[in-house]
Amino acid sequence: MSYKIGVDVGGTFTDVCMFDQDTGEVFVYKLPSTPADPSEAIGKGVRDILDLYDVSPAAVSAMVHGTTVATNATLERKGAKTAIITTKGFRDLIELARQTRASLYDVQVEKPVPIIYRNMRREVDERIMADGSIFRELDTAEVEKLVDELKAENVEAYAVCLLHSYINPVHEKKIKEIILAKDPGAYVSISSEVLPEIREYERMTTTALNSYIGPKVGIYARLFKQRVKDMGMELTPYINQSNGGLMSIETTFDNPIRTALSGPAAGVSGANYIAKLIGIKNLITFDMGGTSTDVSLIENNTPRLTTAKAIAEFPVKVPMTDVTAVGAGGGSIAWIDNGGMMKVGPESAGAVPGPVSYMRGGTLPTVTDANVVLHRLNPEVILGGRMKIDEEGARKAIEEKLAKPLGMSVLDAARGIVTVVNSNMARAIRVVSVERGYDPREFVLMAFGGAGALHAVNVAKDMGVHKVLIPSNPGILCAVGLLVSDIRSDYVKTSISNFVSENIDRMNANFKELTDKGDAWLNEEKIPADRKVIIRHADMRYYGQNFELSVNIPYETITEDNLEEIAKLFHQAHKREYGYCNEGALVQIVNYRATAIGRVQTIELVEHQREGEDPSAAVKGKRDVYFEEVKGFTPTEIYDRDLLKAGNVVTGPAIIEEMSSTIVVPPGHTAVVDNYLNLMISYED
Amino acid sequence: MYNRIKVDPITVEVLSNAFMSIAEEMGGILVRTAYSTNIKERKDCSCAIFNAKGETIAQAEHIPVHLGSMLGIVKEITKKYDISEIRPGDMFVANDPYNGGGTHLPDITLAAPIFHDGEIVAYVANIAHHSDVGGRVPGSMSGDSTSIFQEGLRIPPTYIMREGKLIGDIMDIIKLNCRTAFERTGDIMAQVAANTIGAERTVDIINKYGRDVVLSGMEELLDYGERKMRAGIRAIPNGLYEFEDYMDDDGIDIGRHVPIHLKLTVRDDSVYLDFTGTAPQVKGAVNVVENALKATVFYSMKAIVDPHLPPNGGFYRAIEVYAPAGTLVNPKVPGACGARTDACQRVADVVFGAMAQIVPRQVMAGCNSAVTTVVFSGNDVKNDRFFVYPESLGGGFGARYNKDGLDGVHVHITNSSNLPIECMEAEYPIMVDRYEIRNDSGGAGEFRGGLGYRRDYRILQDTVFGSHGDRQKVAPWGLEGGKDGATGRFVINPDTPAERVLPSAKSSEIQLKEGDIMSAQTPGSGGYGDPFRRRIEAVLDDVINEKVSVENARKLYGVVVDKARRTVDEEATKALREKAGP
Repeated sequence: MSYKIGVDVGGTFTDVCMFDQDTGEVFVYKLPSTPADPSEAIGKGVRDILDLYDVSPAAVSAMVHGTTVATNATLERKGAKTAIITTKGFRDLIELARQTRASLYDVQVEKPVPIIYRNMRREVDERIMADGSIFRELDTAEVEKLVDELKAENVEAYAVCLLHSYINPVHEKKIKEIILAKDPGAYVSISSEVLPEIREYERMTTTALNSYIGPKVGIYARLFKQRVKDMGMELTPYINQSNGGLMSIETTFDNPIRTALSGPAAGVSGANYIAKLIGIKNLITFDMGGTSTDVSLIENNTPRLTTAKAIAEFPVKVPMTDVTAVGAGGGSIAWIDNGGMMKVGPESAGAVPGPVSYMRGGTLPTVTDANVVLHRLNPEVILGGRMKIDEEGARKAIEEKLAKPLGMSVLDAARGIVTVVNSNMARAIRVVSVERGYDPREFVLMAFGGAGALHAVNVAKDMGVHKVLIPSNPGILCAVGLLVSDIRSDYVKTSISNFVSENIDRMNANFKELTDKGDAWLNEEKIPADRKVIIRHADMRYYGQNFELSVNIPYETITEDNLEEIAKLFHQAHKREYGYCNEGALVQIVNYRATAIGRVQTIELVEHQREGEDPSAAVKGKRDVYFEEVKGFTPTEIYDRDLLKAGNVVTGPAIIEEMSSTIVVPPGHTAVVDNYLNLMISYED
Repeated sequence: MYNRIKVDPITVEVLSNAFMSIAEEMGGILVRTAYSTNIKERKDCSCAIFNAKGETIAQAEHIPVHLGSMLGIVKEITKKYDISEIRPGDMFVANDPYNGGGTHLPDITLAAPIFHDGEIVAYVANIAHHSDVGGRVPGSMSGDSTSIFQEGLRIPPTYIMREGKLIGDIMDIIKLNCRTAFERTGDIMAQVAANTIGAERTVDIINKYGRDVVLSGMEELLDYGERKMRAGIRAIPNGLYEFEDYMDDDGIDIGRHVPIHLKLTVRDDSVYLDFTGTAPQVKGAVNVVENALKATVFYSMKAIVDPHLPPNGGFYRAIEVYAPAGTLVNPKVPGACGARTDACQRVADVVFGAMAQIVPRQVMAGCNSAVTTVVFSGNDVKNDRFFVYPESLGGGFGARYNKDGLDGVHVHITNSSNLPIECMEAEYPIMVDRYEIRNDSGGAGEFRGGLGYRRDYRILQDTVFGSHGDRQKVAPWGLEGGKDGATGRFVINPDTPAERVLPSAKSSEIQLKEGDIMSAQTPGSGGYGDPFRRRIEAVLDDVINEKVSVENARKLYGVVVDKARRTVDEEATKALREKAGP
């Protein structure tokens, strides 16, 4: 008997998911989160689910969880009292940022207030040059005096970021040493360890945030570890990172910033796992909730990563799953602006007052209300009969706020809301695909979230996407993602050189430095040799460019023989991303990257026996539903998803309802239930 | 040709999304594929789609002043060429302010017709600021040039591609006239790529929705922009409002201020701006050609009346602009205009100043309103190549009726980002000694003006320096009792016996020696409201964070602060503030 537990901590609820390794069964348990100490709800939830299914703690072999402690501490500005130590003349780097304003035309525009105020940003008189040589030596007496002062001010965390430390970290290391000697209880991060990469502003914000959230995340991670131990589990608990990989408690302690945007990453990992299971390599995930929608792209079962994300408007340059969010969802309000155009969002009715049809006080028409009027959503009850729907109210709100002022019928206004929100969604999908050189028609759209399956097919069609996948139990995607992830750590080193044979030794030395670090880390994490993988990437560019592309290097060492081949990979990447390449031009390497991966676990989902194609046993009713394809209401069969069997084929028009979402299958489309009870909806041209 | 049909507001919104996606995709391609740092890191470029008449349908918002070149380009092409000779796959290049729809020579525009069924149905264009287009100074935009002929290569609308084939001869002329020829090829190819994709995508949209729907939809979008602007203007009281501000000088007649005068009339749902009374055109390089003036006015009105206007040209129809020919704001050939952004910024301040009298809550106080620009050039001894490194520096953004200004940002018509210091030092023989906020540079007020900054460059080998900018003599004004912000300055070897303050922001060919420091100190911005009404805690915060000195806290704000203890002497403060009276 062996069980694996994944815990996804959200703002409101903590979801505990337990997999029975032997049967592939999944058990789910939900309880309110405990924001003061999130590990409290985790402890309680885990104990409860073990009790409920009579499982001994000793039978649990894996425990993974995603945390929002770092994200919340930053957003709510509740991090540690932090000081920045930087090169003399540069304490305002973090405030001057890139000197741009977020909006060109808005007179009321604001700049984010730096997380560390000016008076807590201190300078030391040292200077390293771009080539790593020392222009001015560090004065250790000055540092000692400074640390004494900061200690007297009860600083809890230090962030050290000096110019050009990515190429020569000697001064940063010395400062760290002095801080630890003088103030041993303090949390210290130095930029050459957190992110040894060129570009001072981004390196400084990343380092500053790491220190700012460090004490809080560190304490939390250790509490979590203790709770796991106290429950009598013999295992190494892991924490999820923004790059979709896991890390141990010890690694988390040094690199809390790596959890900063881990929320959406687990869902993407889960989606990728499901896709892989059924042989789908390329997919776009489409997670449409009440107020926003997350979109991401997975090519060849590898989620796209980015280092261009920001949290609370501060750039964080650690690799993260590339998720694009749009401010529109099921609760988005439709309105007419002063130029007479219909807009949807970004205002949302949220949970309260909610859509008009939910009868919780909402008076403004939302996307949900439009779906009710079109009968795509059940116009009487939802949530398995637990919640009544007021169709008449929705109709009236749309009539008063939209149809009358626009001089159109209620039906046309409702169609309009859906069309506009779908075009907003299509734009988000273009951002992750077309704008990055991918053709969406070569991808499957995987839809989840409360409103995902309602809109997915129409959005897909807009983009020329032929297949839409609705996973079987969308509520547990995050937990699945946690339990199938590997441990992972990314390393980077900036060293600008021409990509030519004279530099081969130097390039290999740089890679070796990183892979040695990765290997040492995997050893610390006790990963056996057959479960270790190290992947090499290089950020490359043409000489003269100041913008790099990351290229996978499929060789352990660079040689005269494969030099051409690697350059070609860069040309191809350039061509895909930008539409052209310049094969005769000189190529440069700017950053070396290595990713150390340790395969620690996986799960096996239950595969169901295939039954006949006839889905009629799952029919639970019939109603007239509006479909754009026939421009009118059509009598439509309503199915209960829980009653659909593997192998069933549902032919559109059809509506498939489940507890937390509704799936629309338009005329001309068919939905096939696969062996894992996922639905694949497709159409022929 | 197409049939104008009624397109429902929902389809129009869907098309609007589609056009914006195209413009943004073009912008993404241009920024990412360009070679030069100026376009790549500072995003000094813009992309747009036009209808067949040349009206902007969607513009990716990078730099508002680029609107200017966007206004003129299609008009200039159709003026020069017979439409019937333009063929699919053709592309044009232009930069001339007087004949090419441009606003200054470094901004090179590439425009392409979009064909559908053998007819031109729309255009795409993009602009990029090239780091050098020849002329008498590296960087091609010295503040003290006196003729457009000194400012570089002038390109009227000219074919750069014929039926998809690049015209090498034109490229050769461009390259031969530019100091950094290598970069030009890469940048222009990036511009070509952006237009090619933009045109392809637009044709896709037309094929998908139908030509009549898409082209009518473009018109609906323009009408929509116009309606929205008119609705906004209607909410503003009718009347005539005047305002005047001055530029420091034109870079030639040092010490002689250059007035910019505006009479602004609001009449029901339209606005009329008359710049009569503005100085005659000047010898220096700050002349603003008509398209640049219009772009600046359109930016200002959008910001003041309705920042949420769609990024298309429909709203221009509600705004009429007049400037007498031969003036600073409508010069004749050969008026130099390389540094026109400094004057454009002042034009924006003047429009804001006039509107402040009507809608004081929809404006900010006077801003740093220059595009303080430094250009270093020379032969990089170590790498044996010629380099030109231009950088534009931000400053204060004026205070608002309800909040402080912003520190160290670009304002109004520009928004280019800085070049990371580490990247700059890796590439050029220059080093930065400090990059910091200038204390006490924000105008005092109930809401404080934003602060300027100081950036000191250490010269590592003999280098030539040039610059332009403004607000080094005429301070950014406060509003409603708020005080003026600090002026900026350029200083060589500050705080040493050899200290030398440049007499004007506009300079060229200054020889700097190894070891010299060039200190750029940018202007702050005006405060808003009586400083004695500023919250005491806010003043204390400013003192602790060294944005306001103890002395100024007392003198300008009537707040007595003990900086070491981080406390306020409440009694002394009360006495000071009461003495000043309400």
